[in-house]
Amino acid sequence: MTYGYTGKILHVNLTKGELEIEEPDEQFYRTYMGGSAMGMHYVLKETPAGVDPFSPDNVLALCTGILTGTPISGQSRLTSVAKSPLTDCIGDAQGGGYFPAEMKFSGFDAVIIKGRSPKPVYLWMHHGEAELRDAGHLWGLKTGDAEDKLKEELDDKRIEVLQIGPAGENLVRFSALISMSNRANGRTGMGAVMGSKNLKAVVVRGKMKPVIANPEKFKEMQKLAKVNMEPTGMDGFGKYGTPGVCSPQHRAGGLPTYNFNSGNFDKHEEIDGHKLYNEHLRGHEKDDQNRFGRDTCFSCTVKCKRVSEVVEGPFKTDAKYGGPEYETLATFGSYCGISDMDAIIHANALCNMYGMDTISCGATIAWAMECWEEGKLTLEDTGGIKLNYGNAEAMVKVTEMIAHREGFGEILAEGSKKASEIIGRGTGEYLITSKGQEAPAHMPQVKRSLSVIYAANPFGADHESSEHDPGYKAYPERMKEIGLTNPQEKLALNKEMMRFAMITQHLSSAVDSISVCAFVFGASFQLYTPEQLVQAINAVMGWNVDMEEILQVGERRLNMLRAFNSREGVGRESDTLPKKMFNRPLKGGRSDGYFINEEEWEAALEDYYRLCDWDVDTGHPSLKKMESLGLGWVVADNNELSKVII
Amino acid sequence: MGPLVDFLPNSDRGKAVLNLTNNSTIADMLDKLKIKQRVVVAVNGDEEKGLDHILSDGDEVLVISLVSGG
Ligand code: SF4
Repeated sequence: MTYGYTGKILHVNLTKGELEIEEPDEQFYRTYMGGSAMGMHYVLKETPAGVDPFSPDNVLALCTGILTGTPISGQSRLTSVAKSPLTDCIGDAQGGGYFPAEMKFSGFDAVIIKGRSPKPVYLWMHHGEAELRDAGHLWGLKTGDAEDKLKEELDDKRIEVLQIGPAGENLVRFSALISMSNRANGRTGMGAVMGSKNLKAVVVRGKMKPVIANPEKFKEMQKLAKVNMEPTGMDGFGKYGTPGVCSPQHRAGGLPTYNFNSGNFDKHEEIDGHKLYNEHLRGHEKDDQNRFGRDTCFSCTVKCKRVSEVVEGPFKTDAKYGGPEYETLATFGSYCGISDMDAIIHANALCNMYGMDTISCGATIAWAMECWEEGKLTLEDTGGIKLNYGNAEAMVKVTEMIAHREGFGEILAEGSKKASEIIGRGTGEYLITSKGQEAPAHMPQVKRSLSVIYAANPFGADHESSEHDPGYKAYPERMKEIGLTNPQEKLALNKEMMRFAMITQHLSSAVDSISVCAFVFGASFQLYTPEQLVQAINAVMGWNVDMEEILQVGERRLNMLRAFNSREGVGRESDTLPKKMFNRPLKGGRSDGYFINEEEWEAALEDYYRLCDWDVDTGHPSLKKMESLGLGWVVADNNELSKVII
Repeated sequence: MGPLVDFLPNSDRGKAVLNLTNNSTIADMLDKLKIKQRVVVAVNGDEEKGLDHILSDGDEVLVISLVSGG
């Protein structure tokens, strides 16, 4: 009897059209727990060094975790990993909704995909079986239309679909995997990898519910969700969703504005969660947003997802494409100096129907807008589109052009970093990328520990890879559970803040491996405490893991990602921040004049490396560290790596 | 504004005038507003005041929620 997991991993070779089922032992699940760590096990084992992200040899792993599908909040998450076409480093993206739980019910914990199908296909996994089916008739369809067709064809409304849209087919480098037509495994271009394989969708359906080892204890954990809801403020978070943080971010001086040149957006109220809730969520006319305008993931009581619509006008938008998150409101909004909520809701829907990451898409357009404002781009480059800040029509138009790789969209579809290399003319000055991935909407100038995480994170700038600075002081009891007892003053970038960054990164890394939601399990504002995550795992699995073991799972995953980059010849030289964060002080608001001192930052980066046991000169993990995490095989199996990991 | 606005009585775009008894602390103010979650509080632009900080008449208090995801 297996608890939590199904014990089955599906291997798909698209070139040969072959499917194979592997049944790993319990030790495997205890070592990786699922998600990113489990996926990395296969990516490291099966992907050749130096692989082209669009080559059939790039391995794409889609993995649920040990809790996925059990009826508790925050467990329906799926992680995708593969080499990223956006960063040419390891790629990694998480997503929620109902697909991950349904995939577990279909009888599989993970799918490991390699090769390239000679023609478009989709993978149909149901009731413990799997087959490849023709997808010629789905190719080119928007996500909503493809999903409708699949439901009709399989004669089942309850299937779940994880798919690419036209952007993934067109190999837009920041294409996403989309489920429910409105949930995204957004970052690092995993949709383009799937597109390069001629795989349109993975479709799942089943009734094989995971078995729980200790139902009594599990019930207690379920009840805690209710107990914790009000004291954590997660009820308010559920009501306004992540968009509720727009105005607070502005007030703290941390709402990225005008391509990250300011943390202050005068029109923040126009793009805030209140306005979205009161004027745009479905049901707002009858004050019934809670019923019609909020959505959730399988079994989650937080219900933080938005269902928004624009009923008329040039930005008319269908509610089936969901609603914008905070990140989306910022990237298409304040990053671009845009306060037109209808336009942002529309751009968000375009990204969901074409299958693109809203962060990279909005931030790439914001970068182009700054280039335009600085006179580095002309009408000739853009095909007659004026790309000034605040131009909502242009933003929406360019989003559509990127998805189709049409006109100027062809260049922007490469992501801002590669686009700057194509255009030249000093446009690299305005980038806000780390490892070629556009920075999300949390400012390292304001939350300083993020400056090192954005730079050193193996898959590029990311805001969900560690806790943010204010959390250290505000949640002393939770921080103590993971050994953090010495909070520092605001803006500190010292050794203790690097300990905070690394330890919370290990926890986030565990969260992405167990594959649970970062709003439900974590060390600061989340619904459950870190200790309660441990208890939930033990209740489901019948194990006796402790916090140390969980943090080690996270550290293991982080070092696997890092070792992948080492194998690709990527080390310290790629752990950089956008230049403007060092040499251009922010303008206006509470963060006026803020910048990152480069010398102080270099010293902090080195402190972080030492804490991680990574070589200060090269940035590669030490052999000792790899072996202590049971990862000696990663180095031993590979000639290139054994030269750099010593 | 953010989710905290729901705690403010008669708020005008996230702002309200509160009447507190003399020597009220930040903790008393949050209590009165029934805010139980953790927040960052700035008084007259000066950030990160502790819960036991005593407020004076006319102080402008900024309360920011701490959700960091998105
Ligand atoms: S908190 Fe929100 S994103 Fe996370 S599982 Fe619940 S509904 Fe989904």
